[in-house]
Amino acid sequence: MKKYIMLSVVTAFLFSCNGNMDVANNNAGTDNTVKKSVTKNNNASAAESIFIVSDTFQTQNKKEIILSSLSGKPTVVGMIFTNCSYACPKITAQMKNIAGKLKADGKDANFVLVSFDTKRDNAGQLKMFANMMNIDDSWMLLHGSEQAVRTLSVLLNVQFEKDAEGNFSHSNIISVLDKNGVLAFQKEGLEADQKETVNRIEELIN
Amino acid sequence: MKVVFAILFFISCLSCESQSKINIAAEKKMVKVKGGKFKTFYVSKTDKPLLVEPFLMDECAVTNKEFLEFVKANPAWSKSKVKRLFADSNYLKHWKSDFEIGESNKNIYNSPVVNVSWFAAIAYCNWKNKRLPNLAEWEIAGNAPPQNIQYTSITDYIMKWYEKPSLPVLPNVKTTYCNTYGLYDMHGLIWEWTFDFNSFISTSDSRNTSNNDNNLFCAGASINVTNREDYAAFLRYGFRGSLRGNYCISSLGFRCVKDLPSNKL
Repeated sequence: MKKYIMLSVVTAFLFSCNGNMDVANNNAGTDNTVKKSVTKNNNASAAESIFIVSDTFQTQNKKEIILSSLSGKPTVVGMIFTNCSYACPKITAQMKNIAGKLKADGKDANFVLVSFDTKRDNAGQLKMFANMMNIDDSWMLLHGSEQAVRTLSVLLNVQFEKDAEGNFSHSNIISVLDKNGVLAFQKEGLEADQKETVNRIEELIN
Repeated sequence: MKVVFAILFFISCLSCESQSKINIAAEKKMVKVKGGKFKTFYVSKTDKPLLVEPFLMDECAVTNKEFLEFVKANPAWSKSKVKRLFADSNYLKHWKSDFEIGESNKNIYNSPVVNVSWFAAIAYCNWKNKRLPNLAEWEIAGNAPPQNIQYTSITDYIMKWYEKPSLPVLPNVKTTYCNTYGLYDMHGLIWEWTFDFNSFISTSDSRNTSNNDNNLFCAGASINVTNREDYAAFLRYGFRGSLRGNYCISSLGFRCVKDLPSNKL
């Protein structure tokens, strides 16, 4: 009996996967314009989902996750470190701004912050940062191994360097992944107008 | 029943052990690189140097033959299977097929493997229980003076290499010079991947300046070259800065490093 239950669960799972893939294929045509804008500066990597990366990260609530668990809706990603006093709170504020606009339009996306600081930014530290920035648990603040974080930075074209005091120089980029994990849009700079970012995310949802 | 499992477990352990012995026997020689303080040539005087711990480094670059072993053991990294996210279409383009370097390429079996992406280099190093050197480690290793050739300065030596047109066939490893650590071909044969090749090339804190570029970078500053004569290094950093993780280039390979055992003997 157990076997049959297992089998039906597996079958159901397979069907649901197929369903998702069909949706993805249908959307591929309409998403083209968005993808093209990234293809220009991202070449071949734009063609594939970064969800194929198998590194695990830990959330501010000590939950282990892999990036593919973000599939299903678009994801807004920022890379920061919590000891950063200037740029990182600004990136975070920009992302909150985006989240607010989406919410006002009745849209939903994942919001993820990933820390460069593999030494100091553990789950507790990230939780504190979230509280300080008034971020609720619908966001994920992630930390991972040096290799996992470096890999993500390479895939998102975020440059970063650690200095002798353990702080980081880094580019300030907000990235948008589509619901399948393909890099769809990026906005660089701290004073950037996020209107376009919001529009792109809403296009990805529709 | 339990006994059978115990025996099976025992046997599997034995085979692991003999396996690892074989691996050790075939292991590439690594040499110890004394760490120390490292300051990139472009940082400002006020920046503290990075402290680099001593480490072990492959004495020469990973060869085509060695990389073939990796691909055979990890078919996901073969030419036809590799994900484009991880390696562009030039990946191993000089090889005949997925698992063949090719008869006509016999003279490059012991040449450095090139046309490999950063992701592939990392996967290889991890497979060997090693890692890619970070930039500071690589530069410290690469700055050691040659011990078996006549030279005036490393910079001159490197500039002469840059000037030479690339040879139609990449020479074998250990054909240029050996430095005082016992490392071969740190310059003169290929460029090599570093773990943090996508580092932003500045560490100065200029948060309070109103430079427009500051909007793009946290704690970023303009390049302050400490020794303007070090044009060779300048080119090397520029080259790294132009790379993407999935790029595969015919002059770019890698070697691995490993931490010293914690007792540091």
